[in-house]
Amino acid sequence: MKTIIKATAAIVLILLTFGCSTEYLNPVPKTSLSDLTVFDTKDRVVAQVNGMYAMMKSGQFLGGRFFVYNDVRCENFIPKSSNLVTNYATWNHTVVSSTNEVQNLWGAVYAAVNAINVFLEGLEENWENGKLKNKITEAEYKQFKSEAYTLRAICYFDLLQLYSKPYNQGNGNNQGVPLRLKAQKSSGENDLAPSTVAEVYTQILKDLNDAEPLAIDKYSTDLLNTTRVHRNTIIAFKTRVLLHMHNWSGVVTESAKIVSSTAPFKATTGVAHELNPSYANIFAAPYTSKESIFSMPFTTTNTPGTQNGLPHYYNPASSESYYLVTAAGSTFSKMDASDARKTMLVTDAQGRYFLGKYPDYTNLTNYAPVIRYAEVLLNRAEALVRAGNTVTQEAVDLLNAVRTRSFPGGAYALSDFATPADFYDAILLERNIEFLGEGMRNLDIMRLSLTIPAKDGGAMGSVSAILPNSPSYIWPVPVSELNFNKLMTPNN
Amino acid sequence: MKKTLLLFILVAVSTILAVGQVQITGTVTDAQEGTPMAGVFVSVKGTTIGTITLQDGKYSISVPAGTQSLVFSFVGYRTQEVPIAGKTVVDVALQQDVFNVDEVVVVAYGVQQKRDVTGSIASVKGDAIKMPVQSFDQALQGKAAGVSITLPNGVLNNPPVIRVRGYNSITGSSFPLVVVDGVPVFTGNVSANSAITNALADINPADIASMDILKDASATALYGSRAANGVILITTKRGSGAKTRVTYDGYVGWTEPYHLFEVMNAQQYIEHKNRAFENAGSATRLSLVTGPDGKPIDTNWADYIYQKGFQHSHAITASGSTPSTSYFLSVGYTDQDGMIKKNYYTRKNARLNLDHKLNRFVNMGANVSYTNSFTEAPNTGASFATAGAARLAIVLPPIVSPYNNDGSYNIEGSALGRMGQPLPALGYYNPVAIMDLCKYTSETDRLLANLYISIEPVKGLIFKTQYGLDNLNVESISFQTPITGDGYGSNGYAGNLFDRRNRWTWTNTVNYSLTLFDKLNLSVLGGTEEQRTVGNSWSGSKTNVSDPFFTSYQGSWVTAGMGGGSQWENYFISYFGRFNANWNKKYYLEASLRRDGFSGLSKGNKYGTFGGASLMWNVSNEEFIANSGISSIFSDIRLKASYGRVGNMSGIGNYSSLFLYSSGVYGAVPTLTFSQAGNADLKWESSDKYDVGLSFGFLKDKIQTEISWFYNDINNLILSVPQAPSKGIPGNSIPANMGSMYNTGIELSLTSYNFVKKNFSWTTNFNFTYLKNEVTALAPGVTEIRATTGGLETTNITVVGKPIGMILVVETRGVDPQTGRRIYVNSQGKEVLYAHELPAANRWFYRDGSGNAPQITTAADAKPYACAIPKFYGGLDNNLTFMNFDFALNLTYALGFYVYNGTKAGLRDQRWWNNSVEVYKNAWKQPGDVTNIPKPVMNDNISNGSAFPISENVEKGDYMKVRNISLGYSFTKLPKNLAIERIRLYAQVFNAYVFTKYTGSDPEVSTNGDTNLAPGVDRNTAPQSRTWSFGATINF
Repeated sequence: MKTIIKATAAIVLILLTFGCSTEYLNPVPKTSLSDLTVFDTKDRVVAQVNGMYAMMKSGQFLGGRFFVYNDVRCENFIPKSSNLVTNYATWNHTVVSSTNEVQNLWGAVYAAVNAINVFLEGLEENWENGKLKNKITEAEYKQFKSEAYTLRAICYFDLLQLYSKPYNQGNGNNQGVPLRLKAQKSSGENDLAPSTVAEVYTQILKDLNDAEPLAIDKYSTDLLNTTRVHRNTIIAFKTRVLLHMHNWSGVVTESAKIVSSTAPFKATTGVAHELNPSYANIFAAPYTSKESIFSMPFTTTNTPGTQNGLPHYYNPASSESYYLVTAAGSTFSKMDASDARKTMLVTDAQGRYFLGKYPDYTNLTNYAPVIRYAEVLLNRAEALVRAGNTVTQEAVDLLNAVRTRSFPGGAYALSDFATPADFYDAILLERNIEFLGEGMRNLDIMRLSLTIPAKDGGAMGSVSAILPNSPSYIWPVPVSELNFNKLMTPNN
Repeated sequence: MKKTLLLFILVAVSTILAVGQVQITGTVTDAQEGTPMAGVFVSVKGTTIGTITLQDGKYSISVPAGTQSLVFSFVGYRTQEVPIAGKTVVDVALQQDVFNVDEVVVVAYGVQQKRDVTGSIASVKGDAIKMPVQSFDQALQGKAAGVSITLPNGVLNNPPVIRVRGYNSITGSSFPLVVVDGVPVFTGNVSANSAITNALADINPADIASMDILKDASATALYGSRAANGVILITTKRGSGAKTRVTYDGYVGWTEPYHLFEVMNAQQYIEHKNRAFENAGSATRLSLVTGPDGKPIDTNWADYIYQKGFQHSHAITASGSTPSTSYFLSVGYTDQDGMIKKNYYTRKNARLNLDHKLNRFVNMGANVSYTNSFTEAPNTGASFATAGAARLAIVLPPIVSPYNNDGSYNIEGSALGRMGQPLPALGYYNPVAIMDLCKYTSETDRLLANLYISIEPVKGLIFKTQYGLDNLNVESISFQTPITGDGYGSNGYAGNLFDRRNRWTWTNTVNYSLTLFDKLNLSVLGGTEEQRTVGNSWSGSKTNVSDPFFTSYQGSWVTAGMGGGSQWENYFISYFGRFNANWNKKYYLEASLRRDGFSGLSKGNKYGTFGGASLMWNVSNEEFIANSGISSIFSDIRLKASYGRVGNMSGIGNYSSLFLYSSGVYGAVPTLTFSQAGNADLKWESSDKYDVGLSFGFLKDKIQTEISWFYNDINNLILSVPQAPSKGIPGNSIPANMGSMYNTGIELSLTSYNFVKKNFSWTTNFNFTYLKNEVTALAPGVTEIRATTGGLETTNITVVGKPIGMILVVETRGVDPQTGRRIYVNSQGKEVLYAHELPAANRWFYRDGSGNAPQITTAADAKPYACAIPKFYGGLDNNLTFMNFDFALNLTYALGFYVYNGTKAGLRDQRWWNNSVEVYKNAWKQPGDVTNIPKPVMNDNISNGSAFPISENVEKGDYMKVRNISLGYSFTKLPKNLAIERIRLYAQVFNAYVFTKYTGSDPEVSTNGDTNLAPGVDRNTAPQSRTWSFGATINF
């Protein structure tokens, strides 16, 4: 009897161990959120939305380097050092598929694309299954979707600028980039063939057009209007995309939505974008004027990272920054002495000229301008003339609006342009001057398949001109993509 | 009449009562000595009836009538079964178990007789590790076949690297599971700063009774998912013997560095460096600096960094037993100064082990130990740290002194000052200043405890439940002075980290053994085990001190850092069973199975099943062998074979199957981005182990030999599989079970009782292991894995078809006698020379004169060059006793491996760094000089192998070490009134001598610690230490 009691007691002891195990076997981490909890509250959803922007803002991408690559590969800048970390290979066109810039930019953009796809998948899934019904409104749901689509469109557009031939070469019938539209969370699906340039542009426009009706009209603060996507952001970006596709009438139609028919030009619906009367103030704190349609924000505790930020690359005191080419025929030489954009330049002890747009060299808090209103006006002006192949007064007015904002004495008259070609030269020059250091020059050269001009860097070596059919015109596909995506092919 | 009747009735009643029982009495003596033995266990075979002998050796036991025999057993003596044969007085003389044949070995969840063990287990007794070290694992070298122990250097409390039968993982850990009294314990370095703290040092070596190392699948299968790297079972001492034994064990000792480098003195330094300046075409010249005494400064930096450290250690243990309770109590204190200044280790520990027999059915017991340890160490240098003490001793120029002539520290900002010499900013710190002013400490509080109850309701059926705790708290405190060094840039730094880890383990087992048909012995074990570990750490830091007076975090600072910490937990739940059967002690079968669940795996995938089986044939117990001539030569011939599958979960994180998000900011608003693409398919790394063994005794067990062959096939190794970057996966890789590797080899263990006489005995223990390791598969997209030292220098590579962690260097072929240039071999096999003084574009050129060559780089021209894993290793122990003297000589050896001597590269660096005297004497001077030191050109850090590793610095590491020599004398005949039974005085040298051709400080080295991918690297590591000690053991 005793034996049976003892045996039973022992067995019960053993059985007890079966009980308390399940919760320990499935621990929930206390210091990270997991995909199970990340759509539980509205704040977390908003944090994920801001997370997409934060991925775009990587120092390797729109946090700085993307703008710098598109400027230094062209004719306006000379590096002080041959440090490969500060884009010397980009400047002298010696990048290969294993170069850091080539690999890191590709990786950063696609990391942002995947973060967007993951968010979209989670957002839609949690909206469909009702989990978010009481936490966000339908308007917010649409707004978040519109932001995701727009950011994705910007990512793919930016990829095309460096890694593929421009649209106007063969109407987009060249190798583009792989179109990742599905969230990637696990292994497998490494292999995806690149789509053509035309196919990528189609997707970009689709994303923007899907986003536009869902977007918010305007936010409640200037900061949000500058750092988050709203309807006019989408429209403004569309003008850039359509310009690159040489769809002049498209540019005209779209820009008409945010540009009034006469001067002073401004957007009459949504956020009331307009040119800021002072050029310098666009680049001064709080960086949220009505001219800045979309910029990437920085604070002292949220910086672009070492050797990534725009202020670093134009800092006269840095040993590895870039200064302006000032020889005869340079953009610098074509700026009038009274032009605000020239007086904003700073010099160092040796008399070299540096951009003054990003002067916070210590804390790197200058916002990075992704798109601003001046570009919309110039896009519209160029498209108007190209569409009709004649120079119109409206086009001249638009050009003058931007030009005289900084150079009051520089207004053009319609009679200054004998042929449309003269007008195009003037537009391109204005864009060159206006957007120095904002990552525009390479875009303008390549969308028209112009030659990248030669440059003489003195001790840094001289670089010959790059013709549009040269393999160096575009960046090669990174070696890591070629190694692990079996369907990827080199683009030259 | 009445009296007679009463007497008759009494006798009748007592006879009636006694008719079932017989009273046996007798005396038990020691067969050699003739003295009575107390505490001998007398029992009836197959029952729970038993008693023990008293002080005078006498016993009295009541047994059922018809009992055939009594069994007499006592630790250290051969168990005897003596027939009763109708007698009522049975006297027995017990033989000492000189050859340890009746030894008991601890196995998973139990014990077994050594001769019944079918798996591959190496046993080391606690007495074998009596050495002046901080932790028992530092003394295990060469004691067990198949077990390789590497002490990385002589810094106190640095955890050794332990490998059982080779490397068993690539990205996980290859360190074995350590179980103390049934509780798996924390291992490794638990400190957060340079005061390295080995978690195993919290176990007082004096408390250890035995260490049993389980090597093959059959022995380890019961530890299932954590057994792939082998298991070390530690058993602490229990009370035994009726007499209370009190022992004092203490020693004092001195430790100093063994083998320091000979570097140039001031005169040689100036002469050599000036020649280097001249060869570089520079007009700069160095000169002697006058010191405060008017004589030129000639600093021997090693004098300021190393010292003779004093150590003393004391332990008092008391143990004893009564028929129902036995206890072991130990209290210890150790205080050790290391061979490097400001390196201290102190430990206080106390332990109480109790075993109590509650009644016939129930046993219970508890083991409780508490340890407090304190470690302080300067920054001893992890490879490239500019504060590393070992590196500063060899790199700093001898022409400057740590002090200015006015007695203040010679510093320029954060670095050592140049005292006006035309050197570039030194960049390295003043070791005297930073050792004086900076402080790094780590203090641990450890509680190791367990409680068990075992119930035996019927004979042979035992239920046992055991609850164990391992609680570890570590506080790491760092302070860096604002005056100079690491803390200079931030005007001082103080950082504290508190780390708490709590683990409980609850094991329930039921064990049933029975014998059928008198010959079939069966034993079945079933059980469950749960283990939960919770970790919790938090930290704070401060910078910009308000006043140099404050030297702690709690002082007054201007800036507070963000602080940090972590919270984590994991959980195991297991079900296991083992079946043992043997037929007449001739044919053995053992099979075990374990099912483990681990919380870090993904939902639906949490469990894995592991198991093993072994067979053994005890050839000697066969009649035909016992009756043949073979048995007179060979005894105890046992042939065994085993196979099983066990696992390794060290590569799986606590939450790696989950899909996690991390927080950040976008401007000033919070963000959430997904940061971990959890792998839902991640599972254990698995190890299939095959083992075939033969053991036998020679010359009537005088020589006992064990030979085994093993093959471990390791699969599902977790590797980070690269993903196409266009997928945008964080980190562009996902861990997956992809790789495979094998370890194979032969072990040989020999114990020879050469002489066992009354006044003289000599025993030899020899073990030998041959090991081959090869990686057989990596992952798609992973053709090689490169590993760095210190994050800066790529020194190792792992590729398919070669051993793990091969040394990766560019091949060099000495120095060209005509020109004094280092000869490199590029990837095309062509010889290229390097001349530093030429313009950059012309520095590399072909030796055959065909012009300039592309620059040599690790990426383009290095190849897997040499294997860092020893091919042969083991030990040789000789123990002699003569009259009252005892002498022990322990040798360990490792052969067939290479070491990358990166320290030598530093010692030949032609920047302002000091060089070895060899460089001064042998540097190339004119055409025709045959030497291995190239022409010295100032700032040339390429030819010596600093900029990238070269084969010039890869050396054979083969060594034999005199690990320990000890000589002792015991006083046994002492006056009775002292109550001392014996005093042993001894002298001991630990790490006495190294026989090797390796030119670095010691071929036993591991700058990268417990690494799989980067072994065999010696980069600015502190040397090993040699310790002299004098001690006394007093048995009361």
